[in-house]
Amino acid sequence: MDQNFAGATAASVDSLPRQRLDAAMAQVNEVLVGKNRAIRTAFACLLAGGHLLVEDVPGVGKTTLAHALAATLGLSFRRIQFTSDLLPSDIVGVSVFDRDSGAFRFQPGPIFAQLLLADEINRATPKTQSALLEAMAEGQVTVDGASRALPQPFFVVATQNPLDMAGTYPLPDSQLDRFMLRIALDYPDAEAERRLLTGENRSAMVGRLSPRLADGDILTLRQRVHAVTASPVLLDYVQALLAASRKHHDIRTGLSPRAGLALLAAARAWALLGDRDYVLPEDVQAMFVAVAGHRLIPARNAGRDALAQALLDSVAVE
Amino acid sequence: MKRQHAPPGTRVIASTLGALPFNLLCLTVLCVLAAHAPHLPAWYTAMLAAILAARWWQRRHHPRRVQAWLRIVMLVAVPLVVVAVYGSPFGREAGAAIVCGLLVVKVLESESTRDARMTVGFACFILMSALLFDQSLGFTVVVGLMLLPVLATLRALEPGPPGFGWRAALQPGSVLLAASLPAALLGFLLIPRLATPLWGAPDNGAARTGISDRMAPGDIQSLLTDNAVAMRIGFDGAPPPADQRYFRGMLLWEFNGRAWLPGIAARRPWPPAPVDVRGPLIRYDVTLLASHQHWMFALDVPIDTPEGARMGADHTLYSTRPINQTLRYRVDSATDYRLDPEGLAAGIRAAALELPDGFDPRARALAARWRAQAGGSDVAIVRDALNLFHDGGFAYNLDAPPLGRDSIDDFLFDTKTGFCEHYASAFTFLMRAAGIPARVVVGYQGGYWNDFAHYLLIRQANAHAWSEVWLAGRGWVRVDPTASVSKVELANTGGATDGFDAGGSDWWLPWQNRLDIVNRWWGQSVVGFDDIKQSRLFHPFGIEHATAQMLGIALAIVVFLALGLGALLASLRPRTRPRDALAAAQTRLQRKLARLGIVRGNAEGPHDFYLRSADELPESASTLRELSTEYLVLRYATLEPPPERIRGFVQRVRNFHPRRVVK
Repeated sequence: MDQNFAGATAASVDSLPRQRLDAAMAQVNEVLVGKNRAIRTAFACLLAGGHLLVEDVPGVGKTTLAHALAATLGLSFRRIQFTSDLLPSDIVGVSVFDRDSGAFRFQPGPIFAQLLLADEINRATPKTQSALLEAMAEGQVTVDGASRALPQPFFVVATQNPLDMAGTYPLPDSQLDRFMLRIALDYPDAEAERRLLTGENRSAMVGRLSPRLADGDILTLRQRVHAVTASPVLLDYVQALLAASRKHHDIRTGLSPRAGLALLAAARAWALLGDRDYVLPEDVQAMFVAVAGHRLIPARNAGRDALAQALLDSVAVE
Repeated sequence: MKRQHAPPGTRVIASTLGALPFNLLCLTVLCVLAAHAPHLPAWYTAMLAAILAARWWQRRHHPRRVQAWLRIVMLVAVPLVVVAVYGSPFGREAGAAIVCGLLVVKVLESESTRDARMTVGFACFILMSALLFDQSLGFTVVVGLMLLPVLATLRALEPGPPGFGWRAALQPGSVLLAASLPAALLGFLLIPRLATPLWGAPDNGAARTGISDRMAPGDIQSLLTDNAVAMRIGFDGAPPPADQRYFRGMLLWEFNGRAWLPGIAARRPWPPAPVDVRGPLIRYDVTLLASHQHWMFALDVPIDTPEGARMGADHTLYSTRPINQTLRYRVDSATDYRLDPEGLAAGIRAAALELPDGFDPRARALAARWRAQAGGSDVAIVRDALNLFHDGGFAYNLDAPPLGRDSIDDFLFDTKTGFCEHYASAFTFLMRAAGIPARVVVGYQGGYWNDFAHYLLIRQANAHAWSEVWLAGRGWVRVDPTASVSKVELANTGGATDGFDAGGSDWWLPWQNRLDIVNRWWGQSVVGFDDIKQSRLFHPFGIEHATAQMLGIALAIVVFLALGLGALLASLRPRTRPRDALAAAQTRLQRKLARLGIVRGNAEGPHDFYLRSADELPESASTLRELSTEYLVLRYATLEPPPERIRGFVQRVRNFHPRRVVK
């Protein structure tokens, strides 16, 4: 939305986190050229407190996105390359016997990070996948009967390649539901690609990125997202979309209440990114495909994103 | 944006035709050309289609009118070309060719929505005029379906929401078309029709195939491969056996050495010759399709004369007016009869023996030899002639070789190959040369008996020629010399053999024969639904003769009931009421904008809609921006909007009068 009629009524008091957020988005935009919308969606996901699934062919910048996010947000970053022999303990950590103290000591795994990049998540066995997904849902891990809280904020960016399916364990629909948003990066347009080809090495650029957010900014902004107004008319619209997904004849399984919560949260975050403290139907529409695309189970062999778009087009807005 | 595409120096037309309505308009015109293609020269249709395609291509790349001089040249060229082809701008075909050409010229200059609407109206009229040429069921259905692009174009010319495409344009048209069927049926049944049409299309009878009043070798040939329906006959009782199915049309008396003509004898107003009927009469109904001739066909030999017809001395039936529409009549015929057995009048006898001098000496010599051998026995001479055809090496072949000046001699002694005309002609000649009164009969023979619907279907391919000879004591006796030919050559005939196996050329003809029942119903019940049938419409209700007034009253009652039913259904449908004053005001605003062609999409968000409206109405952009902010805040930023602010918004919407400034 280049133009804005909706009125910038967002609280101007303490606008510093907000300004820093804009600076952070601008910095990531510099690294990933021409991916404004995907980056904005990733930020919306972060602010809404969800986890992000990036699904695309190799080489379009999935990993670069995660690196740039981590460096820009000033979060502790760990990366796990998922393989078929990866074990759950390789993720959550393991208790080892400490000869000095004569007791078991917990050696935390890579999951104890604020931003976790789970690369090619569909290459690991379901057992390992579920260890991660459980941690994502609970915000804590349990090892040897002891629960350990994960650091806050805890933001997982998982990637998977939709084409190369040989030797993979595709995430079941129930597990896909754990990801609030799913995005695709897609090929850059001609202009962006030229800038990419003539520009600097991306990994060198990422190495030089500096954190743009202060400690606690993310949590402050998340609270602000919670406070964004969703009027009764807007809730009617969200409910109408959910109801339509359950009645649509091309959809076998419609959207769950959890999907409804995710949609509302993402729309609130999107409204905040648009400098508003209330949600518009356009915010819901902007997030709908990213929220619903991977959650709808088509009755026939239909494209999920196209189905989500068709669903969106069929529900009237006030 | 539109300005960027326009080349410098051209005027930008205010309500420029969009790509979708223009494409649909081209499709509509293409349909019109297709509907008229069967009766226009193929090159003419192809030329118009090519001009249309060029215009379509041109507008895709540069949206503007075709240069004026080119349009004027075409405007002049179309009538000139038509006059050059048809010899006159008048007449059905020429008229159709002119209007089709002008329609395409009109597309060349259609650049605004107003032009397009006029073109659609024009196209609609020309499309319907195609029914003047062909009223068969299949063609009517095709023309009806061609109304779909017409309606889709009209829909696409109206403002639509963003993303409005082909499917959305076609959908209301198909619904409308389906909904109009009962209304059309109602109008068809109840709108009083005139006994005579208000206007008639000039007709080009010569272009029609059918039996003509002249028979020269090869004349019927084109007919015998024509599968068009000639007539249908329903019998009151059982149909006559297959070998009795001879339908006489006209008699040819006069031979001029080459062709057989009706001659003076056929034109003399003598009373019908006396008939001695032996067996039971056969009663039947004939539905004769328009032939543009006077002949009426009847089973050999008709006894009575239907209304509007006249019976000649030789028991042929003539219509007093040319048969330009499907004609139904009822006749009684006798198949077992003695026609004129008492003795021939001197004039008739002379006409039935007359031969031109100086032609066919070998045939005359052969006939003289037969006469010398047979003495006084005419029957023996007839038998001699039939034996000659049976054993003399004659062959049946539609692809007969050409004959010279002495056509009978050439046929009898040299080529020995031909079809019904050759045999009837040669046989009649031989009989006359031997002194036996003889004449040629032209009509139809055979036909397809539809056992399901109990009628006999006669196609043009059933056309046939045979002979009648007058034998003392027995009167005129039908002799079919073609029937005695034993050898049938099917090479190059396409399998058509007149009379006996009518046009077995097409593998699908048997299916056509079976399906003809639908065409018969269409012809009798729909095309043939005239004022007389209409007046019998209320027969089941005890009204013998319905007047125009009664029909009008019935029409009014049915329309009133239908409207009442529609109103009832509409009132039963749940209405989506605006949820509150704010939504009502927003709806009013949308209606005001829709009148200017800015229609909100079903799923278009309010913010997006306001943005788009401001884009399209730059003059009202600031007002729209204020209204938008107010609406979005009241609707989405406040949980309980204060009533005075809602009232304020309602008032501002009421005072908002957007206008589109046309440049």
